[in-house]
Amino acid sequence: MGSLQVIKKGFQTTIQDLGRFGFRKLGIPTSGAADSKSLMDANSIVGNPKTNPVLEHTFYGGIYRFNTSSIISITGAKCNPTINGRVVSQYVSIEVKIGDEVEINHPERGCRVYMAVQGVFDLPKVMESYSTYLPAKFGGYNGKVLEIGDTLEWKTQQSDVKSTEFPKENIPYFSSKIAITIENGPEYNKLDDQSVKRLFSGSFVVDSQSNRMGIRLTGEKLISPNFEMVSSPVIPGVIQLPPSGNPIILMNDGQTIGGYPRIGIVNEPELWRLGQVKTGDRIKLVSNHLL
Amino acid sequence: MEFRLLLLDGIHWIITELGKQVLILEPKVKEGHLEKIHRIYQILDKENDPIISDIVPAYTSIAIYFSASKEKTLNYLKLLDFSKLKSNTSITKVVDVHYNNGLDWENVLAKTGLSKSEIIEKHSSPVYTVAMIGFIPGFIFLDGLMPELAISRLNTPRTKIPAGSIGIGGNQTGIYSLESPGGWNIIGSTNQQFFDIKNQPPISVSPGDKMKFNPILD
Repeated sequence: MGSLQVIKKGFQTTIQDLGRFGFRKLGIPTSGAADSKSLMDANSIVGNPKTNPVLEHTFYGGIYRFNTSSIISITGAKCNPTINGRVVSQYVSIEVKIGDEVEINHPERGCRVYMAVQGVFDLPKVMESYSTYLPAKFGGYNGKVLEIGDTLEWKTQQSDVKSTEFPKENIPYFSSKIAITIENGPEYNKLDDQSVKRLFSGSFVVDSQSNRMGIRLTGEKLISPNFEMVSSPVIPGVIQLPPSGNPIILMNDGQTIGGYPRIGIVNEPELWRLGQVKTGDRIKLVSNHLL
Repeated sequence: MEFRLLLLDGIHWIITELGKQVLILEPKVKEGHLEKIHRIYQILDKENDPIISDIVPAYTSIAIYFSASKEKTLNYLKLLDFSKLKSNTSITKVVDVHYNNGLDWENVLAKTGLSKSEIIEKHSSPVYTVAMIGFIPGFIFLDGLMPELAISRLNTPRTKIPAGSIGIGGNQTGIYSLESPGGWNIIGSTNQQFFDIKNQPPISVSPGDKMKFNPILD
């Protein structure tokens, strides 16, 4: 058994795994780590199965006091984490001693930091997943963000996975200007020529209203096609175009059905990168059909 | 995106892709989309084959999430045996509605031009079909609203609608089974609980079920 206690609250810290699958038919979003690659990297560094739940910190992450000696890893956004005030490396396995205080600082680049502990959190699964879904208050740690005084416990786990050293050259660089490949969505053909041009020519700015449900893009205004759209299935990565003309990229906590034209869909292997974008970042969309 | 046609349950379906692991099937029929969609939903839900990881029915299309290859999935779909489906055996669930708990009566009266009692009468007389569940956990979309009751959504959605609220949005009516934000005109509420995270599955209705409203005037 291992445990830690939260002694300073982060901006939004939740438990996430790779997500909840098979329940979208009940309107239940997938949830899961917004940056799934950093979750899997954090797990593999400490020798956990890659699907294990970890802590997802958005912006400032807070301070944890460890009640037991533990092996941890910190991945994702570059945040200069400290142990008892001394900066430690990310993307390495770290030994933490009883009483040590780990602080996840505000990221310098990217916006989400992941922390894995060796073992598996002693929490109930909800619909086969540990992921927290805040809007309906279920999953993870009592369906909520971690707060001062909360204690997390974990069990040691039989794992065939050997903890692996992470090659330095593979540590992702989270730029504030990114290009993302998209495929045409079902209603792409309903866009007018001018909107198609704007979709791929300029770059969009990430709006402050963005969250785990969706990334709102501003900067380039498109014209939402004028036809009666029936509510239709959507998935994370779908780019919707509401009447405002500002596209929304649906993320992990995004709805299951949507009534706005689905003009595009993010190439799945690149979706994790969007888990690190923040207000003011620039996103350029590249058509998969022109590559 | 690739389009193709698939013959299934005696009709053609237009197939499109949404990403790499989702097929969207749209019945090529003039009317009765929902009924066709519910037939395929029911058979896939019953068979529960690991090849299909999720199924999301909507009004005119159904999303099929698959874990095998696309070809394997299409072959699996082609072999579905629809003769096993029982026709319309579902019982009609009666839901008590407190229409006096409506939050938007003023709006609804103005938009429909009808009286409150006419609206209650028209809203509580049809037998509705649960069209789908979503867009958020437990939201129950009902098909069968009388056209006279179709009204536009609120200009500014509410940030919080209490669990059990019943509303009208466009030509649809539905139940917010969990507290959530929303833009529908709320005309009443029910004390009946449809969503409980402790239950398996957490929602007590499924697409294709029948539902009727029983007015409680207190």
